[in-house]
Amino acid sequence: MKIFSESHKTVFVVDHCPYMAESCRQHVEFDMLVKNRTQGIIPLAPISKSLWTCSVESSMEYCRIMYDIFPFKKLVNFIVSDSGAHVLNSWAQEDQNLQELMAALAAVGPPNPRADPECCSILHGLVAAVETLCKITEYQHEARTLLMENAERVGNRGRIICITNAKSDSHVRMLEDCVQETIHEHNKLAANSDHLMQIQRCELVLIHTYPVGEDSLVSDRPKKELSPVLTSEVHSVRAGRHLATKLNILVQQHFDLASTTITNIPMKEEQHANTSANYDVELLHHKDAHVDFLKSGDTHLGGSSREGPFKETITLKWCTPRTNNIVFSSISELHYCTGAYRISPVDVNSRPSSCLTNFLLNGRSVLLEQPRKSGSKVISHMLSSHGGEIFLHVLSSSRSILEDPPSISEGCGGRVTDYRITDFGEFMRENRLTPFLDPRYKIDGSLEIPLERAKDQLEKHTRYWPMIISQTTIFNMQAVVPLASVIVKESLTEEDVLNCQKTIYNLVDMERKNDPLPISTVGTRGKGPKRLKGILERGKEELAETEIIKDSPDSPEPPNKKPLVEIDETPPVEKSKGPVSLLSLWSNRINTANSRKHQEFAGRLNSVNNRAELYQHLKEENGMETTENGKASRQ
Amino acid sequence: MPGLSETRCPLCNIHALNSLCCFFNNKTVKHTKPFSPVFKQEALSNMDDYDKTCLESALVGVCSIVQQEWGGAIPCQVVLVTDGCLGIGRGSLRHSLATHNQRSESNRFPLPFPFPSKLYIMCMANLEELQSTDSLDCLERLIDLNNGEGQIFTIDGPLCLKNVQSMFGKLIDLAYTPFHAVLKCGHLTADVQVFPRPEPFVVDEEIDPIPKVINTDLEIVGFIDIADISSPPVLSRHLVLPIALNKEGDEVGTGITDDNEDENSANQIAGKIPNFCVLLHGSLKVEGMVAIVQLGPEWHGMLYSQADSKKKSNLMMSLFEPGPEPLPWLGKMAQLGPISDAKENPYGEDDNKSPFPLQPKNKRSYAQNVTVWIKPSGLQTDVQKILRNARKLPEKTQTFYKELNRLRKAALAFGFLDLLKGVADMLERECTLLPDTAHPDAAFQLTHAAQQLKLASTGTSDYAAYEQNITPLQTDFSGSSTERM
Repeated sequence: MKIFSESHKTVFVVDHCPYMAESCRQHVEFDMLVKNRTQGIIPLAPISKSLWTCSVESSMEYCRIMYDIFPFKKLVNFIVSDSGAHVLNSWAQEDQNLQELMAALAAVGPPNPRADPECCSILHGLVAAVETLCKITEYQHEARTLLMENAERVGNRGRIICITNAKSDSHVRMLEDCVQETIHEHNKLAANSDHLMQIQRCELVLIHTYPVGEDSLVSDRPKKELSPVLTSEVHSVRAGRHLATKLNILVQQHFDLASTTITNIPMKEEQHANTSANYDVELLHHKDAHVDFLKSGDTHLGGSSREGPFKETITLKWCTPRTNNIVFSSISELHYCTGAYRISPVDVNSRPSSCLTNFLLNGRSVLLEQPRKSGSKVISHMLSSHGGEIFLHVLSSSRSILEDPPSISEGCGGRVTDYRITDFGEFMRENRLTPFLDPRYKIDGSLEIPLERAKDQLEKHTRYWPMIISQTTIFNMQAVVPLASVIVKESLTEEDVLNCQKTIYNLVDMERKNDPLPISTVGTRGKGPKRLKGILERGKEELAETEIIKDSPDSPEPPNKKPLVEIDETPPVEKSKGPVSLLSLWSNRINTANSRKHQEFAGRLNSVNNRAELYQHLKEENGMETTENGKASRQ
Repeated sequence: MPGLSETRCPLCNIHALNSLCCFFNNKTVKHTKPFSPVFKQEALSNMDDYDKTCLESALVGVCSIVQQEWGGAIPCQVVLVTDGCLGIGRGSLRHSLATHNQRSESNRFPLPFPFPSKLYIMCMANLEELQSTDSLDCLERLIDLNNGEGQIFTIDGPLCLKNVQSMFGKLIDLAYTPFHAVLKCGHLTADVQVFPRPEPFVVDEEIDPIPKVINTDLEIVGFIDIADISSPPVLSRHLVLPIALNKEGDEVGTGITDDNEDENSANQIAGKIPNFCVLLHGSLKVEGMVAIVQLGPEWHGMLYSQADSKKKSNLMMSLFEPGPEPLPWLGKMAQLGPISDAKENPYGEDDNKSPFPLQPKNKRSYAQNVTVWIKPSGLQTDVQKILRNARKLPEKTQTFYKELNRLRKAALAFGFLDLLKGVADMLERECTLLPDTAHPDAAFQLTHAAQQLKLASTGTSDYAAYEQNITPLQTDFSGSSTERM
């Protein structure tokens, strides 16, 4: 895929000479009388569009489809040519929309049939087109700046679509020669300029249009290379709907589009509200949405569409959703989608098209089924809108290479059952992302990248985050929770400080009342010295502020003293007997940690105050207490 | 293809080769099971010998098998084992390559493969032998035809089992080494294997031809609801399997219980050590969220829980296309920041709203009521709308003028001034057809509108300005108290 291919820049050059004011000689009935009301009244005479009107509305349709499918990076420059060239817009992204072009075209107005034809020529427009192709687009500029010394990799190619009424084949040659000559000259100019780029390749598409019923004076000619820089093709097309059809085919060729017809769309009839009929809607999109069909050869071509004999469309069937499910495919389902491509309806204002698009724009998605020769049904695509844009999603319908993978519960950490799933869920919700569209600056004035801020926050929020319930006491204590949520904040408000104090006083109060610590019954195995240290230090931070707990009778000495000594003097903790004091919990953990470092003598393991009891088997079996050595199985 | 009946399946065609085209089966290399649908050892022993080498048919067979089985999007490694002899006459590789330029769509040469691929050619011959003929050139041509995707392996030294094994060892090292990475969420980390190996990706062959490779540090940057990420398009999907590493960084086990007893104990221990992947997977599943993960500079992906069945589920990672804005509805990835930086929670206090999807600046044609008159029916519908509203004046005054102005704007842009005149005539006729019971305002508005359209249809004066709208005539029929001037 190349960003800067020929389709990055398209220049429309539309003839505005007096001849273009001629009628296309294709009548449009606009006065459709309602039968019962207007008896005896003769409808107004049909009107017909001028060659100009046909050219403009066909090129606008080309742009409409292009902007729908490629709202960015595919640019159009519109030029109107009569006694001079009128450039209606620029390559700037903000000029790239239909409203701008329509307003500019209205300002130009239709050609003046009374103007002097001698003064007018399409050549002015073609020269301006070459000139404008040399102008750098913001995307080219950005890419060149980014690539620095590799700036020459940024290509400058483009396409000129010229709609005119030529006099003869030799007239067409003359136009081609002129473009060729102009490119040569402008490339010389561009070579010496910083803000111009030499044209590497230019595709000239000359469309000769003439009134229906007349003979064409110009013959069709397929694409031909005139020079290494310029290729040219000639299309001789009758005006009216023929011209529109031609441009519709061209936009598909130029932008690698393909057509999909959605069939069996159920729609309520306007007149008979309780009956519904099935409709078809044809959509255009990038051809990659059909990649699986093209490669597998299992295409179900819906035949040529009604529009023209050139175009093929692939038929996909609307999947009527299960009843009672208003939102068609459940939104919170994550489909395996290999591509999503913007669409444009071929017949944007027809009732079936607008029904379908409005249905999707209201936030609903619909699955599409691919009819296969074998008769089997496969869901291959999904239509869905995201923020007012409709996308055709390609769903993977071939076999998955990840069939029957091992479940996560069979892998590392899969046997652990007390993960803090809910707490981590809360953590994830607090660390959700949101767009920051306006630039923000750091204190030092440099640009702040929101995504980096998000990473910083994750770093801060995970400095202490035990993964399992039995690894943590403070996160299991309702009384400490306010501290845990405050500790990750960047700055504390007055209220936060008060809240902290309140929590701490509350803890002190609990300590005084000898309230039990909430110990998980799942098991109190420590998970190694590192994490234990985390707990100790966190505990220290929280407790140090008041220093009251330290002085109370049951509280331990600060951990920087030798904890081992103290442990020696404490009796082994009885496990699984519910409430224990902070000290016994602590020493138990340290014990566990130490026991992992070396194989403890069996005697000492069961000793009281380092004194091993001899002949202990004489006692009752159940009267004994074994200290957990970390290998004991969990309940 | 001479010597073979047409009714044989593609697989049989592959069987019928001196140069055996083979897929690795899962006994040969660990974790290649998905890539090896074809051969089992029994099948190999059942194969007959044939007397003609026909590489092209083999490759055509590979094409069709892979596409039928896996479609066109899944990367596949094709391993071609050959003695370096390319066959003779029709069907030989030389003949295939010589006629390469004369192919039609129906007998297209199978290379490049119509799926992402690597073609590895294992030559049961050493370099000198191959260079004595043009074999090597022809085989190199095959790799070129596969867009350079692939490699040729030859035997170092004489042809013997040991040297053949060492050649295949090289292939395994190149193509089948597992991808190990560290999954990080701030300080929470886990060693993981990403399977299958993520492929390098070229964003734009012209301006950025260097393939991008994903980092071995997979850094979570934040979380998004599944409804907001909304089935995004992805390049590929991968299982993220937590692994236990020893101090040297060698893989000890995946925690998956195996029949092997030695592994068993190591795996059981690994199973009991809390792992961040399991925690993350559990919470993603419960909350219906995905984690956005940074894979490299301007390259992101997502982690989510994928359920295989009701019981089995797994942590999966999908890769987005590299670039600053892989999903238009999320906007630029670099502009996503933590909700705590926002003035108020964009998800609402009750978690009832969302900052996504982002709305594009310009609406698409189907969302903005554009005017298209290419088909007569388009024009007729628009005229009918005006007429319908004209008959319901003055109640429908606003809609009448809205539709009228829409038509006027389009007619001016398309230079279709005759239409303005025509519609003006039509409105004047409607005026004459008004029933006696009609509100007097209707006649005033119709006459006014027709007059304005006629003025616009001259295309000259200020009346044809695009931005200007026809506004309703100010009349006062509302009350008897105010006298009309």
